[in-house]
Amino acid sequence: MYRVTFIDADGQVTELTAQQGQSVMSVAVANGIDQILAECGGSCACGTCHCYVDDAWIGRLAPPDDSEQGMIECLMNPTTRSRLSCQLKMSDALDGLVVHLPREQY
Amino acid sequence: MTANLLASDGQAFEPLTDAFAQNPYPAYAALRDKGTPQFFADFDMWLVTRFDDVAAIARDISMVRSPEFFMSEEEITEQKRLQNWLDMPHHQRFVQFSMLDSDGEVHDRLRKQVFREFTPAFIARQRGMIERFVEKLVDSLIGKGEIDFVEELAAQVPGHIIGRVLGVPDEDCPQLRVWSERVVQFFDIDRSDERKALAEQATTEFYHYLLKLMAERRRAPQEDLITRLMAAQDAGALNEDELVSTCMLILMAGHGSTIDVLGSGMHALLRFPDQMERLKADPGLIHTAIQEMFRFESPLPFFHRYSTTDCVVGGQGFPRGTKFGLLYGAANRDPAQFENPDTFDVGRNPNRHLAFGGGAHFCLGNHLARLDMEVIFTTLLKRLSSISLVDAEPQYKRGLSVRGPKVLRLALTPA
Repeated sequence: MYRVTFIDADGQVTELTAQQGQSVMSVAVANGIDQILAECGGSCACGTCHCYVDDAWIGRLAPPDDSEQGMIECLMNPTTRSRLSCQLKMSDALDGLVVHLPREQY
Repeated sequence: MTANLLASDGQAFEPLTDAFAQNPYPAYAALRDKGTPQFFADFDMWLVTRFDDVAAIARDISMVRSPEFFMSEEEITEQKRLQNWLDMPHHQRFVQFSMLDSDGEVHDRLRKQVFREFTPAFIARQRGMIERFVEKLVDSLIGKGEIDFVEELAAQVPGHIIGRVLGVPDEDCPQLRVWSERVVQFFDIDRSDERKALAEQATTEFYHYLLKLMAERRRAPQEDLITRLMAAQDAGALNEDELVSTCMLILMAGHGSTIDVLGSGMHALLRFPDQMERLKADPGLIHTAIQEMFRFESPLPFFHRYSTTDCVVGGQGFPRGTKFGLLYGAANRDPAQFENPDTFDVGRNPNRHLAFGGGAHFCLGNHLARLDMEVIFTTLLKRLSSISLVDAEPQYKRGLSVRGPKVLRLALTPA
């Protein structure tokens, strides 16, 4: 079991547990984190699972691939910390990951 | 051709009847209550209606749109012949082949060429243009007292907006809508020869129109999607047939389903007047209200997938090559997923419906459709003091693959 922490736009903190290989998006959806809409279900096709990876973690993630990067550039309010949570898969390296949630996805 | 499903207990499913057109939800509930996929004999297809099963298939990359992954070319031709898909050269070239009916590399490559224009940030920049367009249209209708909401308002917006994104002049949009409807009608389960002739002719005229438009852009490039797609073609990212097919798909998608859900969404607000009042009193509910319109009356309630591996759906095993009919309209009323699913609730949240499908084929135009609807409903609720139905029971379109009122006559009182 891994730990992942979500912090919403009002600063509300939710700590959850995740399985090996589970996406951060699916952890959010399974636990009622409603700011992660994830309408396409994790195919990098809708851009509604946007999150901001915490400063302390951004350097420890593999960079986005081309299709994720293309989508990130077209999200509302993207930053250098923007990721699609459907593309972040939990592993030993991400145990304890902290992500921030946008107020709205679109 | 008849279209009846006879389940093991002999119960019929008749999606081409007027009764089904007016209210498909009891028939969907009866299918859902059986718990497992049900075989639809006339089309050699298993209908899937439970939310979890529909979502799982839509999102599964081993479930595909095109049978080419497991059928030989001869088998595909024979299947097309049986389903009356052959002898329509332009339709086969530009409609039966499309991003929608491609999978894997071809689908991803075509989607990549157009997705930028449909992302949240790009669509948000269209808001001012859409607001000006809708304000002007409402100005022209508000004094009329009585309108057909479908024809005079709904049908005038999404097609024009998608036309502007692609690069089609406003004055050509009514013709594009006629072609789109003729092409799309042929996709329903009753593929008559008459509809076939109309679909082929419409595709041919549409093709010649797009060739002319492309020639104009070649002479004088513009800031629009068609110009950008032509540059992508020059760069080798797609060929001319793929470009024509993709433009047709985008224009047809923009002319059909949003019109239908605008009509059914307005009808829902009128059938649930407490919800209309609630939305008027709190316009901030518009986002959840629109989500609920898509859930409550999903405008494209039926899409298919083929399995490329042996699979299990709803606890039942199926072989590779099984065709599944995903009934989004049924899944979106599944009580296992939605509390009081037959109640229209403009504040429903979360509302993880499947009206836009799921997975790699998730509706490309979803953000644009929602913005069109947001602008239209916000404008109308602001500018009208009352909206009421003229006919108590508006007639809905017949068929399994579309859902929306044919006509929606409204009496309007300006604010």
